[in-house]
Amino acid sequence: MKKTKLGEFEELVLLTVVVLQEEAYGVEIKRELEERLNERLSVGSIQSALKRMEQKGFLTSEFGEATKKRGGKRKRIYSATPYAHRVLTEMKDVRAGLWASMPKLAYDLKII
Amino acid sequence: MKKEYLEEIEGDMEEVFQESLEAHSVRKAKRIYTFEALKLFRPVLIKNLVGDYRLNNYGMFKNYFKVGVRNILKYKTFSFINVFGLAVAMSVCMLIMLMLADQKQSDQFHVKKERVYRIICTADDYVLPWASTAVPLAGTLKTDYPIIEEATQLIKGIGGDVNYKGKTMEIRGFFSDPAFFNVFSFELEKGDKNTCLTMPNAMVITSSYAKLLFKGEDPIGKIVQLEDRRLDHLGIDGEDIRPVDWGQYTITGVIADLGYKSHLKFDALVSVATMKGLHREKKTPNLTDNWWNFDHCYTYAVLKPENTSEDLNTVLDHIVATKYEDQKPEKGFEMEGQKLGNISPGPFMSIPISFRMPIEAYYILSFFAVVIMLLACLNYTNLSIARSLTRAKEIGIRKVTGGKRKDIIYQFFSESIITTLLALVMAVLLLLFVKEAFMNLWINKYINFNLEGTLSVYLVFIVFALFIGIIAGFYPALHMSGYRPIAVLKNFDMARRGKLGIRKILNISQFSVSLFFIVTSILLYNQLRHFLEFEYGFNTENIINIELQSNDYSIVSHEFSTVPGVTAISACSFIPTSGHGEGRLLKIAGSEEEYQLFTALQTDDGFIDNLGLKLVAGSNLPASENGSDHFIVINEFAVKKLGYGSAAEAIGQVLEVKRGKEVLQVIGVIEDFQFKALFEQDRNASLLLRNQPVKYQHVNLRVVSGNLMNTIEALEEKWKAIDPVHTFKYEFFDEQLDSMHSFFNDVVSIVGSITFLAIVISCLGLLGISIYTTERRTKEIGIRKVLGAGVFNVAFLVSREFLRLLAMAVLIAAPASFFANNVWLQNFPNRVSFGIGTVSLGSAILLVLGILTIITQIISVSNRNPVESLRDE
Repeated sequence: MKKTKLGEFEELVLLTVVVLQEEAYGVEIKRELEERLNERLSVGSIQSALKRMEQKGFLTSEFGEATKKRGGKRKRIYSATPYAHRVLTEMKDVRAGLWASMPKLAYDLKII
Repeated sequence: MKKEYLEEIEGDMEEVFQESLEAHSVRKAKRIYTFEALKLFRPVLIKNLVGDYRLNNYGMFKNYFKVGVRNILKYKTFSFINVFGLAVAMSVCMLIMLMLADQKQSDQFHVKKERVYRIICTADDYVLPWASTAVPLAGTLKTDYPIIEEATQLIKGIGGDVNYKGKTMEIRGFFSDPAFFNVFSFELEKGDKNTCLTMPNAMVITSSYAKLLFKGEDPIGKIVQLEDRRLDHLGIDGEDIRPVDWGQYTITGVIADLGYKSHLKFDALVSVATMKGLHREKKTPNLTDNWWNFDHCYTYAVLKPENTSEDLNTVLDHIVATKYEDQKPEKGFEMEGQKLGNISPGPFMSIPISFRMPIEAYYILSFFAVVIMLLACLNYTNLSIARSLTRAKEIGIRKVTGGKRKDIIYQFFSESIITTLLALVMAVLLLLFVKEAFMNLWINKYINFNLEGTLSVYLVFIVFALFIGIIAGFYPALHMSGYRPIAVLKNFDMARRGKLGIRKILNISQFSVSLFFIVTSILLYNQLRHFLEFEYGFNTENIINIELQSNDYSIVSHEFSTVPGVTAISACSFIPTSGHGEGRLLKIAGSEEEYQLFTALQTDDGFIDNLGLKLVAGSNLPASENGSDHFIVINEFAVKKLGYGSAAEAIGQVLEVKRGKEVLQVIGVIEDFQFKALFEQDRNASLLLRNQPVKYQHVNLRVVSGNLMNTIEALEEKWKAIDPVHTFKYEFFDEQLDSMHSFFNDVVSIVGSITFLAIVISCLGLLGISIYTTERRTKEIGIRKVLGAGVFNVAFLVSREFLRLLAMAVLIAAPASFFANNVWLQNFPNRVSFGIGTVSLGSAILLVLGILTIITQIISVSNRNPVESLRDE
């Protein structure tokens, strides 16, 4: 857990990539996240998060097909690495663990 | 934007723009697009500010290569000077590498090579360690010390003729034991390794020897007759005695000819068990239990895998301590193990088992090669710096257009490496000649080099060339890459100042080295001539020396005396000044004086007369008859050494021999003459002549004849009648004396050729610099001539700088070479005089060569019509 260095926004983007599967390319990720978060995101923020995670080894990518809408430019399809899956699960567990211990703590406090 | 991200992000932007077009007006969409684009300026996404080098490395190297080749082609003279100088120096270095590679391969085939040690002896009085040991050592090592897995010995002694079915061949080799094949990994073509050396009178021969002797017959089980002539195992004919029948031997093994490279050289091995019989018949000295004789046996031991050389040395120390409890054989006597891999190439040894080029010789040769190589590298550096004036603009432009210092360094290195690779090609060609010349040296008759070279050696050459490229290009690369573009492009004269200094220093050091070599080789040459013209103090004219080759002198002399033209005959045990000779310790009988070292020369009564030695007092040796051999003739130096006032006083005196109870009586005194080898000692040494016919080895014939060749033919006829087996070996005494300096001749040749190379390289460098400087100054000289300067004026102007360089070199190197050469010369007997004359001669040669080198340039520049040089601007 210590050295994963996955930021909050990066984690969101990474989760989106996992969710989108085959469709996970720049604009689609942006669209999906904007919908879920209900806020506007810039292309740059998404792209920098993607590139950073690729460098850290959470993502791999390959070129997909080109569409007319993209001015003939190819998409880059991202997919999460097994390492990323592991880190995501770990983070989920940690959070779940924290949630689980919360009410108990409140109960203990009451007794005193 | 990073290139690899470009397509994707552009696509994304396009898509977003299309979407926002649907939602908003074109203007708003464009505005959003602009903002989005601005937001893309993130460290992760944009290109590095410094630029990305990996992208165009290949292209730049291609460019460096192209520019390098163009530069080489553009300045053909300079390139030639560089390439040729480097090639010459490299070929010398490569020759040494070939020699080392050949020697390194020696003894690599032994399975246990990492654990095999040769035992050597050292003592305070030994100048060199001895390669040989006492005979019983191998047995003691094997039985008493568990760390020794195996030990074997090679005992000197096989040297004579074998006879098989009437065919006689010379044979040389050793006695050895069955352990030999356990220590060394020689394979047997025929026979059994374990048993072939166990039985007495068993003999193992090499495959090549078997082919010559048996001509295709199966050698195993064949019986040969051995006649001992005490030939040396080294292949030089040493002690030559009457043949002794050593009995019959059975061939039990043939060593396969698998191209073994080993320091062990022999035709045959004979089982040690044979020696018992020979001892009984007193045909060879019994040294089986003799711990006091060290020059007859070579011992090799294999250590157990877990033991180290230190363990072995402890064991050897223990042996010395126990075997020589009461008294050591020599002061500071010690034994130590020498690893098999360190024998060849290895240090110089006494009593060598075979001739090898000692490691010291490699050091000296390598030193020469490195000096030459440095000179060539200095040339490269020097010419590169000189040309930096022209290259400076290029460097400036490269830097302005984004080249960094590192790139310029790469560029200059690639240029120097291209040059050295060209030089490598040339050097490989030159190597053929260098190799040929080297193989013709006298010394190579005794050392068998195989200078073929393997693939790995050639790979080493390539690495070597790259390395030299880096060394040669080092200074230019670092220096020129440091130019500041603004200074260089604006006005280069600014950057020029001070650079002449280093160039001058380089030139001066080159010429100093050259001068040093010149003086040394003149001195060596003078010394050689001094040797050749040496006054020996005896007569060599018309004397022919014939090797007796174990024949009876009385028969030979009788037969030869009948040949017309032979006027006198005498015999001696060794040829004076040949470097041979037995030592004898003598003192006046009954006195308390110390023993004096004499050299004993056994001669007959005709010797003194035949060689023209002068009797000072007393009479000649008596003719050989019973009881005549206790009369001796000594030289004047010995008279002084023994403490007699005059020669006459010594006559009739009785001397006693150490360790022998022998008593000798002086009957004559002769004038001193040179009988030791010239480089060994001058004539200040004691000598005794004694008539002992058994010791004769050479016949001296005085021949006065109109047709010398006829006389020699007649002598040969006689010889064939006396000894049909051995060839007639004769030499003219004066030629024989000259050939004794063959080794010195080799030294002179080597130093001479190194000197030649050093001068050639330095002069080429000077030529390059002078071409360059005169070219640079064409305009200046043109203007001077227009203003009225004369030819001499100009010539002086141009040559002044170079003359100053040469003068500086002379000032530095002349005293240095004088003192350095005096160091070795002082320890040299029979030395030639060495003084200001030789040094001045060397300096004059250097100056003349230097001036000859630049004179063409100076003449052409002085005579040039100023119109031509000033016309175009």
